[in-house]
Amino acid sequence: MAVISVATRYKTTVKEPGVPGVLKMNEERFVFVPNDPRSLMKLNGEFKNIKGHKFSKDGSKQALLNLTQDPEKGTGYIFEFDNFTDRNSCRDFIGRVLGKLQSVPGRPNEQSVPEKSAGAPLPEQLSAIEMERRIKLLREDSELLRLHKQFVLSGVLTESEFWATRKALLGEDTNRTTKQQPGFKSAMLADVRPSADGRTNKVTFSLTPEIIQQIFAEKPAVHRAFLNLVPSKMSEKDFWTKYCRAEYLNRTRNAAVAAAEAAEDEELAVFLKHDDILANEARRKIRRVDPTLDMEADEGDDYIHLPDHGILRDGQKDTAETETEVSRRTLSQDLNRHAAVVLEGRALDVELGDTRTVAEALAWSKQELLSKEKSEENVNLEKQERVARMTELEDLQAPRNPQYASLCIKDPREYFDSQQANALRALGGTEFGTNSLDLNLSKEEVYLHLKEQISEAKSRGLRNPIIRPDTALKVFSGLSQHLSSTRFQLGKNSQESALDRIPHRTKDDLMHHWTSIQELLRHFWSSYPITTAGLYNKVQRVKDAMGQIYQKLQEIKESSQSDFRHQVSLLVQPMLQALDAAFAHYDSEQQKRTARSSAKPNGFVR
Amino acid sequence: MKLEVEGLTVYFPYESIYPEQVEYMRELKRALDAGGHALLEMPTGTGKTAALLSLIVSYSIHNPQLKLKLLYCTRTVHEMEKTLAELRLLASHLPNSTNILALGLSSRKNLCINPHVLSAQSRDSVDASCRRLTASWVRTLAHHNPQLPTCPFFEAYDRASSAGPDALLLPPGVYTLGDLRSFGRSKGWCPYFLARHMIRYANVVVYSYQYLLDPKVATIISKEMHKECVVVFDEAHNIDNVCIEALSVSIRKQTLEGATRNLTQMSHEIERLKATDAGRLRAEYNRLVEGLAQRGNLAITDAWLGNPALPDDILKEAVPGNIRRAEHFLSVLRRLVQYLKSRLLTEKVETENPVNFCAAINSQAGIDQKMLKFCYDRLHSLMLTLEITNTDEFMHIQTVCDFATLVSTYARGFSIIIEPYDERMPTIPDPVLQLSCHDASLAIKPVFDRFQSVIITSGTLSPIDLYPRLLNFSPVISCSFTMSLTRDCICPMVLTRGSDQLPVSTKFDMRSDPGVVRNYGRLLLEMVAAVPDGIVCFFVSYSYMDGIVNNWNEMGILQDVMQHKLVFIETQDVVETTLALDNYRKACDCGRGAVFFSVARGKVAEGIDFDRHYGRLVIMFGVPFQYTLSRILLARLEYLRETFQIKEGDFLTFDALRQAAQCVGRVIRSKADYGMMIFADKRYSRHDKRSKLPGWILSHLHDAHLNLSTDMALHIAREFLRRMAQPYDKTGCGSKKTLLSEEDVMKMSEGAMDTY
Repeated sequence: MAVISVATRYKTTVKEPGVPGVLKMNEERFVFVPNDPRSLMKLNGEFKNIKGHKFSKDGSKQALLNLTQDPEKGTGYIFEFDNFTDRNSCRDFIGRVLGKLQSVPGRPNEQSVPEKSAGAPLPEQLSAIEMERRIKLLREDSELLRLHKQFVLSGVLTESEFWATRKALLGEDTNRTTKQQPGFKSAMLADVRPSADGRTNKVTFSLTPEIIQQIFAEKPAVHRAFLNLVPSKMSEKDFWTKYCRAEYLNRTRNAAVAAAEAAEDEELAVFLKHDDILANEARRKIRRVDPTLDMEADEGDDYIHLPDHGILRDGQKDTAETETEVSRRTLSQDLNRHAAVVLEGRALDVELGDTRTVAEALAWSKQELLSKEKSEENVNLEKQERVARMTELEDLQAPRNPQYASLCIKDPREYFDSQQANALRALGGTEFGTNSLDLNLSKEEVYLHLKEQISEAKSRGLRNPIIRPDTALKVFSGLSQHLSSTRFQLGKNSQESALDRIPHRTKDDLMHHWTSIQELLRHFWSSYPITTAGLYNKVQRVKDAMGQIYQKLQEIKESSQSDFRHQVSLLVQPMLQALDAAFAHYDSEQQKRTARSSAKPNGFVR
Repeated sequence: MKLEVEGLTVYFPYESIYPEQVEYMRELKRALDAGGHALLEMPTGTGKTAALLSLIVSYSIHNPQLKLKLLYCTRTVHEMEKTLAELRLLASHLPNSTNILALGLSSRKNLCINPHVLSAQSRDSVDASCRRLTASWVRTLAHHNPQLPTCPFFEAYDRASSAGPDALLLPPGVYTLGDLRSFGRSKGWCPYFLARHMIRYANVVVYSYQYLLDPKVATIISKEMHKECVVVFDEAHNIDNVCIEALSVSIRKQTLEGATRNLTQMSHEIERLKATDAGRLRAEYNRLVEGLAQRGNLAITDAWLGNPALPDDILKEAVPGNIRRAEHFLSVLRRLVQYLKSRLLTEKVETENPVNFCAAINSQAGIDQKMLKFCYDRLHSLMLTLEITNTDEFMHIQTVCDFATLVSTYARGFSIIIEPYDERMPTIPDPVLQLSCHDASLAIKPVFDRFQSVIITSGTLSPIDLYPRLLNFSPVISCSFTMSLTRDCICPMVLTRGSDQLPVSTKFDMRSDPGVVRNYGRLLLEMVAAVPDGIVCFFVSYSYMDGIVNNWNEMGILQDVMQHKLVFIETQDVVETTLALDNYRKACDCGRGAVFFSVARGKVAEGIDFDRHYGRLVIMFGVPFQYTLSRILLARLEYLRETFQIKEGDFLTFDALRQAAQCVGRVIRSKADYGMMIFADKRYSRHDKRSKLPGWILSHLHDAHLNLSTDMALHIAREFLRRMAQPYDKTGCGSKKTLLSEEDVMKMSEGAMDTY
């Protein structure tokens, strides 16, 4: 079971300093042990009493975590951590635990049943987490629990057999609680505003780690300068002071002063100059832009934009500002850049405290992005498709064919295991295995046999269509007839189904048997062809269980009242048929076995 | 689907068709039958381009003897891409036996695939580096000396085309610029010259307005187009401005300084040539004596900008004797530049007409009108003789010669305006000598004369009777179509007051009022919270937008807006604007939602669609009047009043409202689309302004929506969005069908037959 233990300080209110100690948590309990053994601030609580948890923002003064209790049992527990990493790992852990607990409403009462079964003689060793998951599944699904009780506890199926068919359920649960990634803030934090105190000529800029991260993301030149200069050339504080100075110059829009300062101080100039990284990036991106909005191509069209031709100053165009070395960054550029960064999303997941690590992580993530970029050809194709889609007038277009979801098999093994039996049957029919398969064959014979099989498969083809049309038609007409007749008997009420008419008790029984039969049949058919003794035993067990249910079904059919008898028999019929088919198959297999058992070589179980 | 339009089978690339598209096709067909020009206004969002292309292409398929060729002119390259995409869709629905060749044409920069040339930064250097590799004299030299670099793509193309002039080099199909490039890459041919060559054989050519309207370009590119061409100007509401720009030249201090440098360089060149190859100069002189300004058949690669004057106005005679010698011509140019420099020194604004200006040149610099007229031709000849390849550096002297040729050729419809500084920044000296054309009909006249059918079409051509006057032509069909709507999918509103009931406007005396700024901000804030996906805002000018956005930033309104949507802004830098637009679309696609701030009359307003979720609401902040104090505008207004009896006020309002309509029209693309339009200025509620809006907007502008305040507009917006979210019947009901299937069209035409 997952356990986490972290050094922290426990306190009852936010204000007080708190008692240092260690917080240990597992999936059910949390225990706080103070470092000072004399302290009385020991804690030992259960998560099921915890209603929720609160936490302070990343980058704020204290790394706090508050577990809130049920209101009638008292207030919460407040823990203060030394850093945000610890806090966040605790927060995420608690989030997961609470998420699990709260999704299970009536937990403690029925716990005993499955646990006992888990303790039953099992051939395999289950990990605690695996067990936990199974228990949880059973708790959530009463149907499943009933089936489990009926078959596993009575010994018809083993625990592993029961779960083998439900791998999907187990697997799915594992990735349900992934961590959620917070995106970038919409607010423009990088646009730091100075505050003046009004008495002196001093202005104050305040930067928080979050702001710094945004500055790095939005201004790659600053980011690069930071990586180059800090801490080798200047301290971090100096760096940011310089940055703020540049910001201030930019804000006052005094180009002359800015230019003068930039000429003197080359580090300061970095912040004032045009961002060459951004310019390069823009040049790269513009090649991938949708051609229907590529205004840059327009600019390049011959003769349209000849210098000094056309009307220069007609009041429509504003005169372009002259480009200087220290160009003024405008608000609109900042806005566009900010929005672009927000749209790209935050790719890094690091602690927002240390500026240096943030800067490095950002550099890494950028490199990754670059390497992921698609090739030119793909981009071109994509562009074309997009343009084609954009130009179409959708409502003039004939409605498109419904989209098909593509078949997705998560675990191929699962699929092929279940298909194996079918495939074998299709190839060799029911007489597979008896078909002159002598086990003392020579290589040549095996080869010949294989060839024969292949040619047989070839001549038969992969039967297409799989079901013959006339058979299909028969089934369909039978079904629709059946449906229409029930509909006729029931009248026009569409809400009511045939099931609603028969007594409640019978209906429940039928439903229950139906699920049981399905479960059993699934196990029955999936055990063929029988290759091990274990399977043989399983078939025996399953068959016996099916026989019992068969009896019960017969009873229900006979005992039901006369006016429902027809309905009930209609419902029971398919179940009985399915069971009959299974029995028949079992019998024929059994006969073959006995017929063959004399000629069987030693040690081969079939 | 296939449909019959008055006996013509039209292939239409969709399964159904709007009734107005059928109408549009019918009118268009009549114009083609009559062989005349047409003026057609159809609302945006009714598939104008698709209807136009299908009809003309089908018409040419059914009348192969006419050899119809479609010249489709767009404003911008990205519109060209859109048109070609529609054409591609159409081509896939044509019968298999027909082969059409359609291609887009653009500059070297957009088509070049030579990596060496492409590494050059700006457009001019792409041109120049191309010339450096492909000019005829360079190639001749390289023939003898294989060490000299040439362009492998052009050489390969040249070899392939020399097989025969009519050897079809490009298989039929629809080629966008990208396709041309990849075709060129696969064959190793130069796509630019291939495209230039192929427009002769193409059925459809899509290119920019300038390629037909600007004489400098048209004489080179569109020289070989025949009378049978059908010319279409799409999105033509601004066509008069394009015509005017095509014949205007402006000269600044930098131009003259550059021209002086060019002259020095040329005289060095001449000295050098005299020493080494005097024969070439003599040959040129002899040619000029014989009266040949141009050197016979120019190689395709040598062609540069053509004569700035219209073909009919160019003097077809020998170059005057006193500028035949290269040195003499240079000294004439020197005197001209000197004179222009002295004129730029003026301290007050001067306006002059061309006749007086020429007379002044004659008396002060001793250059008569005829010499001026030949400036362009003589310069061109000299540059060829001197074998100058880096044409971009000689742009300045070219400008001066263009100016000289134009000013001496045209006596009417032009004026020369010298401004010592920009009106809005009187402190910064920036003298400009502007030769501005006032008469839009001048530049477009050769097009009307040369081609039998010219179709001018747009979503906003109201009032439709004004355009024939401005462009001086008589259309055989002049028609404005209304839009049949299944549901009220557009919702125009006029907002006159803020939530504090104070009027809002961008009138000059009100626009900087903090109350107005705040009210505009509040409006945006409320809308941003209520409207999903994309919102577009248009402002009257860049400077106004900059100012108000800065104010909003200071007030904290922008920060609040950002809580709801991302903000993108159009800037003067096209690269940045393009990227911002791309990001804006991404933000709308991913559901984040965004606001785009743009400028009326700007590049974005001209050609970018904000259809579907890319624009659910467009807010027009203010009335986009032109800068009325501009001297050029005043001169133009005066000319319009004298020549066409168009009143100043009328023209200004017309111009402002067509821009506003153009801006708001960008939100709707089809009838399945929906969008709101807010005109946020109290002046829109006045009848004289409002009535200038196109009919399809006016018909949806309810009386109750004429005088709204912010809170009322918000309420209406909420109601509208809720209504639009409901499912609806696309085909319309009963007699008012808004979507026709093939059968419907058939029935309709039968019904029409019966009534006749």
